[in-house]
Amino acid sequence: MKISTMAVASLFLLPAASVSAQSVSDAQIASIVVTANQVDIDAGKLASTKATSPEVKSFGQLMVTDHTSVNKSAVDLATRLHVTPEDNPTSQSLKADGAKNIANLKTLKGAAFDKAYVDREVTYHQQVLDAVDTVLIPNAKNEELKALIVKVRPAFVSHLEHAKQLQSAMAR
Amino acid sequence: MRFALLVAVVSLIFATGIGPAVDQAKPKTHTVTMEGMRFHPDELTVAPGDTIVWVNEDLVPHTATSQAAGFDSRQIEAGKSWSFKASKKGDFPYVCTLHRKMKATLHVASAAP
Repeated sequence: MKISTMAVASLFLLPAASVSAQSVSDAQIASIVVTANQVDIDAGKLASTKATSPEVKSFGQLMVTDHTSVNKSAVDLATRLHVTPEDNPTSQSLKADGAKNIANLKTLKGAAFDKAYVDREVTYHQQVLDAVDTVLIPNAKNEELKALIVKVRPAFVSHLEHAKQLQSAMAR
Repeated sequence: MRFALLVAVVSLIFATGIGPAVDQAKPKTHTVTMEGMRFHPDELTVAPGDTIVWVNEDLVPHTATSQAAGFDSRQIEAGKSWSFKASKKGDFPYVCTLHRKMKATLHVASAAP
């Protein structure tokens, strides 16, 4: 169990590390933003029905609500700017890791599910925030796209704090 | 012509002179923005009869909810707003029920600034 969690975690660390060295286009950034939100919506949908703890369940629902709202703004902006999100290695890795996470979560039940979901949410939001700071904001060329990413950052920080709080409550 | 000018000046004096006195009695509208996962300002004093407008400048939905004051905006979507007319006097803490760390207080008092 420990090894598989570490393996998933190390796999997940790859995308940001590999992308930080390269420059990404606005179309690729748009794709990363939309994919990152969608991955968390999918996990949140599962948690909102499968989690045992009411707090974890409502956190899952909040992730669906918040990331759906962010994606609406991101898609609206991309449409207005005539930017077509372009698939790239980072968005592909995010998608693949998201699918792996869902597959893993589906094998778990009860407290084990809650723990795995919350642990992953902590890692995921930290990872996304790192990508926001080191890749997305520095590389975004369009000012409105950059402003959207800057504007959404506090929500991701809030999600990370919330997930950490659930994590430490579960450890007690 | 001179008379017309005099009338204009006198009405201007009356308009500006009376204006502020009327304004003080008039209910005011105050704005609280929800931005960066915070309420701005997080302390607001209003008079009974005043209206408070919460404007959601974030990209995620928020609520402005106070059990004590008896108001609940429900979800205010990104870019939308919601208003509430204060009636009961007192200090009313409120939160965003979605993001519980978002807290603020509405003071409803006679001597609102």
